[in-house]
Amino acid sequence: MVRDPDRPLTSPDSPVAGPDSPVAGPDHLEAAADPPETAPARLSERAARLWTWLWEHPLPVPPERLRIGPFRPAAFAPRSTRLTSTLGLLLGVAFGICFLTGLLSHVIQHPPPWFWWPSRPAGLYRVTQGVHVATGLASIPLLGAKLWSVYPRLFTWPPARTLVHAAERGSVALLVAGGLFQLASGLLNIARWYTPMPFFFTTGHYWVAWLTIGALLIHIAVQLPVVREALTRRAPPDAGRRQVLLGAGVAAGLITLTTVGETVRPLSGLAVLAPRRPTIGPQGLPVNKTALGAGVRASASDPAYGLVVIGPAGPIRLDLAALNALPQHTVVLPIACVEGWSASATWSGVRLRDLVTMAGADPGRAFVLVESLEAGGHYRTSTVEPPLTADPFTLIALRLRGDVLHLDHGYPARLIAPNRPGVLQTKWVGRLTVRETR
Amino acid sequence: MNRLRAALLVTGVVVIGYALAGSFLQLGGKLGGVLIFLVAVLVLHDGIWLPLVLAAGAVLGRFGPARHRGVLRVAAIVAVALTVVALPLVLGLGRTADNPSALPLNYGRNLALLLLGLAVTTALIMARALIRASPALIRTSPALIRAVIRRRGRKDSERPDDGSDG
Repeated sequence: MVRDPDRPLTSPDSPVAGPDSPVAGPDHLEAAADPPETAPARLSERAARLWTWLWEHPLPVPPERLRIGPFRPAAFAPRSTRLTSTLGLLLGVAFGICFLTGLLSHVIQHPPPWFWWPSRPAGLYRVTQGVHVATGLASIPLLGAKLWSVYPRLFTWPPARTLVHAAERGSVALLVAGGLFQLASGLLNIARWYTPMPFFFTTGHYWVAWLTIGALLIHIAVQLPVVREALTRRAPPDAGRRQVLLGAGVAAGLITLTTVGETVRPLSGLAVLAPRRPTIGPQGLPVNKTALGAGVRASASDPAYGLVVIGPAGPIRLDLAALNALPQHTVVLPIACVEGWSASATWSGVRLRDLVTMAGADPGRAFVLVESLEAGGHYRTSTVEPPLTADPFTLIALRLRGDVLHLDHGYPARLIAPNRPGVLQTKWVGRLTVRETR
Repeated sequence: MNRLRAALLVTGVVVIGYALAGSFLQLGGKLGGVLIFLVAVLVLHDGIWLPLVLAAGAVLGRFGPARHRGVLRVAAIVAVALTVVALPLVLGLGRTADNPSALPLNYGRNLALLLLGLAVTTALIMARALIRASPALIRTSPALIRAVIRRRGRKDSERPDDGSDG
């Protein structure tokens, strides 16, 4: 897994260039070394010496008698560079897609001041997050094959020739660990199995994504010439390479086919390995957090329930009868979970913008803090931004498919809005606080 | 291209720096957990999982019938990948009593059926290869086909290892 590096600036009489050292790869690091081509020249003499030292100064070579087991020369059958490059290219694209869709999901949930997310198309988030999870799942066999194909490089001898070589190998270790971390934690998350993860999934998955992408960029910088050379050169037919590629490809295809039905409705019948089915759950719709799990069974069933709306016009309290007496609207909107599943349903209830108007604010400029009856938890509250507040599809829903909401779907009242992650579709809504921008 | 590579390299270093700084600031006490998991997946994969895969490949290469080694290798890769993805669902340890809509299927049975389907497909491909390699005459006679399969199976096991690895 650690790419056989080179000794680009090594002088011929340097010990690392001796007969014992393995053959150097193409001098692809040289370019990366010099990039600001004249930079070392412009630096002071001392800095230039440090630079050269980092690149050229040989690190001590471990005694030859330690070169045993997988470290022996020819301990492994050779692997095809073309296979490694093809898999690398596919994984690079897959990880890029996962990173961008994941980052998008993150900023939707934690919007920075510059971020703006439209309310339409209503199903955009279900697509981006469906792609995120499906791509991650399909990456599992690709990463497996890729790491198999580069495994011999883990046992490069000597383990580190120069400090730069050591740093490059360190970045590859980071990339491998990060890639495995992301796919393993993602898989555990969609299987809702949190015990093996000694951290909060969302933040861990988020920060390791940055770590992995950084290491990936370095890896691409180092390997670009090798990949180009491997993919443009006419390679002789190689049955082994074709078998591994075919196996990984068929596996990725089958994994996709047996899971993607959790969000692509026409394929739901094939989704035999999907953690969710869009039709299974109370009122024919999956549930992420139950009333029991949220600790709201008692408060949500309390007949004294009333929705409190706080706005410029002062607080209003609406009990269920009052909410039902307001103009009711019906929309078809998906619940799109961060875990990659989604399901559309028909929701009926009161438009959020009507409630905001009642509270004395302009929906087009109003942020609404939606609070659940839950006592705590990461997703007890969510903020609805002006584009969604004003959208006629955004409801405080009281009914699902014509029936009163199931307790697990947020009875007595829940938020349902277009183009929004499921965790922000706050259930068991107890209070709305309306704040107007200038 | 060197300019591009330099840009990638610098961006990569900056992004890693951002990730490290962000992790320290945001993960707080959970940083240790993330580090443990990072190291654990690396050690489990490179130290235990891959050696097992290599050993299985070597067994397949040594004892698998030479004519079908390629098909078997592809099938093995697919079977292993499906099993890895299905395993957390088959174990079902993320299930909770209050939420029957999470992990609602019998994943053990589903995985078994998928693997069975894979085995049948693999067997059909192998049989087709045998029939194709045989004279046209025997295609019409099931008894002959059976005889040929028996004979070829014997022949394959006698054939020396062609040196391809698994």
